[in-house]
Amino acid sequence: MQATPPDPVIEADGLVKRYGAITALAGVSCTVQRGEIFGILGPNGAGKTTFLEILEGLTRPTEGTARVLGVEVTQDPAAVKARIGVQLQASSYHRYLTLREILELFGSFYPRHADAMELLARVHLEERASARISNLSGGMQQRFSIVAALVNQPELVFFDEPTAGLDPDARLDLWQIVRDVRDSGATVVLTTHYMEEAQALCDRVAFLNAGEMVALDTPGGLIRSLRAPYRITVTSAHPLPEAAIRGLPGAVEVEASNGADGHVVRLRAQDAPGVTAALTALAAREGVTLVDLAVQPATLEDVFLHVTGRRLNG
Amino acid sequence: MTRLLFSSSLKMLTRDRQALFWALVFPLIFLGVFRLFSGDTAGTTRLIVSVDATSERGRALVDALDGVGFLDVALRPGLDEESARALVEADEGDAALVVFPAAPGTPANAVLLMGIRDPIGRQVTSAAIASVVDRVNLALTKAPIPISMVTRPVDEKTTSFFQFVAPGILGMGLMTFATISLAGSLSRYREEGVLRRVRATPLPPAHFFSSVLLAHLVVTGLQVVVLTLVAQMLGADLLSGGVWAPLIAVSGTIPFLNLGVIVAGRVKGRGAVEGAANAITLPMMFLSGSFFPVSALPEAMQQVVRVLPLTHMLDALRGVTIEGESVVEQWPSLLMMAAWAAASFLVARRSFRLDDA
Repeated sequence: MQATPPDPVIEADGLVKRYGAITALAGVSCTVQRGEIFGILGPNGAGKTTFLEILEGLTRPTEGTARVLGVEVTQDPAAVKARIGVQLQASSYHRYLTLREILELFGSFYPRHADAMELLARVHLEERASARISNLSGGMQQRFSIVAALVNQPELVFFDEPTAGLDPDARLDLWQIVRDVRDSGATVVLTTHYMEEAQALCDRVAFLNAGEMVALDTPGGLIRSLRAPYRITVTSAHPLPEAAIRGLPGAVEVEASNGADGHVVRLRAQDAPGVTAALTALAAREGVTLVDLAVQPATLEDVFLHVTGRRLNG
Repeated sequence: MTRLLFSSSLKMLTRDRQALFWALVFPLIFLGVFRLFSGDTAGTTRLIVSVDATSERGRALVDALDGVGFLDVALRPGLDEESARALVEADEGDAALVVFPAAPGTPANAVLLMGIRDPIGRQVTSAAIASVVDRVNLALTKAPIPISMVTRPVDEKTTSFFQFVAPGILGMGLMTFATISLAGSLSRYREEGVLRRVRATPLPPAHFFSSVLLAHLVVTGLQVVVLTLVAQMLGADLLSGGVWAPLIAVSGTIPFLNLGVIVAGRVKGRGAVEGAANAITLPMMFLSGSFFPVSALPEAMQQVVRVLPLTHMLDALRGVTIEGESVVEQWPSLLMMAAWAAASFLVARRSFRLDDA
């Protein structure tokens, strides 16, 4: 995706949104390229939904400008709305219409639209065409709200927490649907507060915290930006000399404790291969048998903690 | 607004059981109940008469009693008071008149045994029989009649209670559906996020809004047709003024649709919206003369009630149906209805903001 020539579908510049004394968005700027899956991560109340609503033409920014698909949103919201697809958090559809009727109705709001049955088939709901929303499971409802965002064959789709409240299977299902949407040529912008979702799904991730964008990069780039991106856990039958471990080049945040399996040392490392080699060499020199040595890459959760000083969920 | 948008709105409304309840079931129940209560006071009264029908006074009495329309006279000569009482108790008759035997030319005693329980029926029947007996007495004494009186109704038309109440129920049904159902629909669209979702499409919000309003107006038309037909079948004539009553009914609904919009816009939370809509329509339904004439209210209260939109809608409806007046004669009521429609429209426009959804 990064190889294609830059073709920005979103250019946000200094977006501020205030509701009375509350600042929901405190100057957010970013650019999203065509064909990306762009993730916006942040805890509840970070301003994710407000940011999306400005881009979707649902909310006017107090300050700043947003260009979507080359159009300034506040100048011509209808032109933008005709070309984007929107799945809103906690919005539902008409309870007295069937799935097919809803898709046909929403299709009629756009100059061009996809066939309702084809859309339902994309998310495996064709057999539920005559059902009503209330008769669907949570996962089905979510799949329906995704496909309802595609009625106008949009160039750019916004999904606001598409997997919130879903079980792991349904979530994996939905990830595949989101990938399919991108592969069919649309750019996807989604919000989530699941780190693993952003890591698995997104080409680039923006961190929002308290209305500010605190980091923006590829998931790999964000993780590599950490000073010590690996966690290493060593378990041994006899204690390893802690001072010697602290002295190993590249090892930081060394913590020793006694666990059920023996003596445990936890540390973080910049260079996982180097530090693990040095650890095994140290154990051999000391005549200590290693019971276990585990290396875990850092996650976006670690990055978020590092950048904001707080955990994302909790 | 596209045809699909309108037909979808109509489809949603007709699939909404609660809306259909307020639109049709609720007023139809009232029509049925009031029809039952305003039956023509049990039709006829069965009167057992014990008198010697061969005597002069016996013949005169039976002839006179037969002349009373609502009396169904059964002649059972030779009863004494006990056996007559037993017959009435066994429901052989509703009342029994026993004239005890007396020689010609001597005064005879009589007793009226009343088996009718409801006070009005009892009074009407005994007054009718007493006046028959008085007339027979006068005729038999061959005395000149000092004062002779007839009763003439001031109003040539006699209006049954059901005929009075039918326009009231029509107006009430239109009002409750318009206000309660529209307020409920709009607040549900807002609360469930449908409005927000529609705002995320290029459809102008006003189109969505008009489709909901228009669907409600169509159901209002359906209400007028169904309720008028059922009232007609049950014996109340709502079409004596031609098409004017239906037209007044539909146009009189506009202030109530606006009220629904205002309630949905000003009150937050769906339960509270429905409560508020009920709180507005319920007192109006009783005060504005749906079931009882406004003139039966205390004078001070009437002043307030004279301002309400339903009062004027019902006045105009009754004017063209019961009073047999022309629609032009309804101008004071029509003017008030128009004023209500205009004022409530202005408030409604400011109350429900689509872009806040």
